[in-house]
Amino acid sequence: MKHFLTKALLVGALLASTASFSFADDKVVLTMWHGHPEWKGAVDKIIAKYEEENPNVEIQLEEIPGQDLTARLNTALAAGEAPDLFALQLGPTVGAAGAAGQILDLTGKVDISGLTQAAQDASNYQGHVWSVPTFGSYTVGLYYQNKIFADNGIKPPTNETEFMAVCKALQAKGVTPMIAPAQDGIIPAFLYMMMASSVLKADGFADLRTGKRKLTDPDVVKAAQYLQDIYPCFEDGSLGTAYVEGKALFSLGRGAMLEGGSADYAGFVQTNPKIDVGVVPFPAVDGGMPATVTGMQDTFSVNSKTAHPAEAIKFIQWLIGKEAAQMVVDSITLSNTVGIAPSNNPVMSQMITASKSNDVRVWYEFPETGDVFAAVQQNAQALFLKQMTPEEFSAKLQAAVKPSAAK
Amino acid sequence: MVDQLASVNRAPLAQSGSDVPRRPLAARRRGKTARKYAHLWFVLPGLLFFCLFMIYPAISGFAISLTAWTGVGNDFHFIGLQNFVTALTSWPLYRAAWHNLIMFVAILIFQHTVGLFIAVQLNAKPRFMEVYRTILFLPVIISLVSTGFIWTLMLSPNIGVINPLLQSMGLGFLAHSWLSDPHLALPTVIAVQCWNVLGWAIIIYLAGLQSIPEELVQAAEMDGANGWQRFWRVVFPLLSPSFTSLTVLTFIGQFRVFDIVYVLTGPIGSPNFETDVLGTLIYRSAFGGSSMSSNDVRMSYAIAIALIVFVAMAVVSTILIRVLRRREIDA
Repeated sequence: MKHFLTKALLVGALLASTASFSFADDKVVLTMWHGHPEWKGAVDKIIAKYEEENPNVEIQLEEIPGQDLTARLNTALAAGEAPDLFALQLGPTVGAAGAAGQILDLTGKVDISGLTQAAQDASNYQGHVWSVPTFGSYTVGLYYQNKIFADNGIKPPTNETEFMAVCKALQAKGVTPMIAPAQDGIIPAFLYMMMASSVLKADGFADLRTGKRKLTDPDVVKAAQYLQDIYPCFEDGSLGTAYVEGKALFSLGRGAMLEGGSADYAGFVQTNPKIDVGVVPFPAVDGGMPATVTGMQDTFSVNSKTAHPAEAIKFIQWLIGKEAAQMVVDSITLSNTVGIAPSNNPVMSQMITASKSNDVRVWYEFPETGDVFAAVQQNAQALFLKQMTPEEFSAKLQAAVKPSAAK
Repeated sequence: MVDQLASVNRAPLAQSGSDVPRRPLAARRRGKTARKYAHLWFVLPGLLFFCLFMIYPAISGFAISLTAWTGVGNDFHFIGLQNFVTALTSWPLYRAAWHNLIMFVAILIFQHTVGLFIAVQLNAKPRFMEVYRTILFLPVIISLVSTGFIWTLMLSPNIGVINPLLQSMGLGFLAHSWLSDPHLALPTVIAVQCWNVLGWAIIIYLAGLQSIPEELVQAAEMDGANGWQRFWRVVFPLLSPSFTSLTVLTFIGQFRVFDIVYVLTGPIGSPNFETDVLGTLIYRSAFGGSSMSSNDVRMSYAIAIALIVFVAMAVVSTILIRVLRRREIDA
């Protein structure tokens, strides 16, 4: 009896391993790295939808905090161990990976004609489609707490003077005017982009890239002065506050305003499902136009060493299709797919409205201004602490601009 | 014939003038050589591992540091020693090294005073000594990343517990933005590290104290030495090996520090680089300060900095060990 049971167990194990091996043979597994752990629930649903429609495909998603993604991804690429699908920074990074043969050239393989013109332009680097903005785009403006503003009889500011007045009024009532987690310099960099864009506007930004305009021009230096002036409106310890903590503080109503993107809203709701916020363009330098900046969210590339290139490309094509784009805009951020609007997300609708006045592409997506973001990150705190003048700050940023020839 | 040779080979070494047959000279020499270098076979696996994971990456790293590789792509065009020249002439390197030096000196003094004091108290074997020792060693076991996260939350002026605790004790005037104030950020990072590493100092000194023969201390007592004299003239000199170990380990640890600083104050050593150390400088150069600044990465430059730091630490460690070894006394 004992021998019979032993043999039966062995045969059963052999059959099970054979069955699982043959099952694994049929199923295509795609690995995917993404840099927004706070969206995992929403992205899992999108992936589940695709898997439901494509039962022979399994997508293994790994969410990595954005701060750590570059380190892991660059190391994995160099080691030849990158996942099948991953997002690289637009611009020289994508170009370098493409030139090195680390990512597939998707030109002609992915149909991007259904995307907005900005998204199509972003997909094209030096004549090649190396990556596609799959999870939409994000627009950055100014979030404000509806209740705090209503309780204090305040309207969202449209320029610097109004902003400082709102700041003083709220501080007098013991309310933190603005949450600005500045530890890693990201928020100050976005603040500066919007402040400078309120002066330059889209045309002026194009001139900046060709060298016709400079960040040291007197009217643009006002943006640096503005950035320095609003520091006292930030929460206590803002220079030591991490980005994640800052978002949580705002979600919980610990500050009246936060500079944030459409992609942040999903995280706010996750922390506080009852959050009630509005969105406006960021208040302009006096005399300028309130601005938003828009960037491509997660431009995905396909690993050239993937064992399943056709399946990976098919998944990317699906992600920029109407079905996935609608899921993205309803749960995560704005969409790049033409004709897709939020179906039940009033905050995203407000963000779209905010972006219609004066929207500029995020500066780090262009080779001419790609380094300016890092320059702001590394010098903003000196500006806040008044260890650097606005003129010196502007000069450092201008030194990071690499103008290209005018087209 | 074969049997004769076999019996000759098995025969013990002959002494001169004896009747025991000696093995042929060549066989004796081979045997002697084999015995002299037999230990190398035991070292070989570890040596191979060391070469594969330490020597080879170091040589490869040096080769990459001579190029302009950013970390992505395959543009490895040769630029010679330019990365090293740039690093050695850039202020951020010296600023970061200065912060490492401050941390090293501060933590060293703390370990050699507070750590030694507590070790002496524990060596007197008070009641619940094992409990105290376990509690004091617990921070060492917690990972540095977890330590950083815990303290970041505790020190936050918005959601932390340190400031409310001070206020409840009537010490509200001590409440600060600990990690945002340029004058307090580095001391705060040092304080967190002191909390983390105290257990090491206690364990190392406790082991040293327990190896000191009691007769020496008793002899000094019989000769009329008071408590302080017994400690300073007898015990402390005999703790030299512990002093050396702790000093060298602290030096290496503090000049290698990265994770706890990165978690506490971020990749740019906030506020305004006041807590920037060599580790965060290397990381930022290699991978950028954020995913949005990844176009500004310079991996080969980061490797050059790392190699400079490695050589400097090796030289200083060697000097430290030689200087400190001279004061060690064999008990």
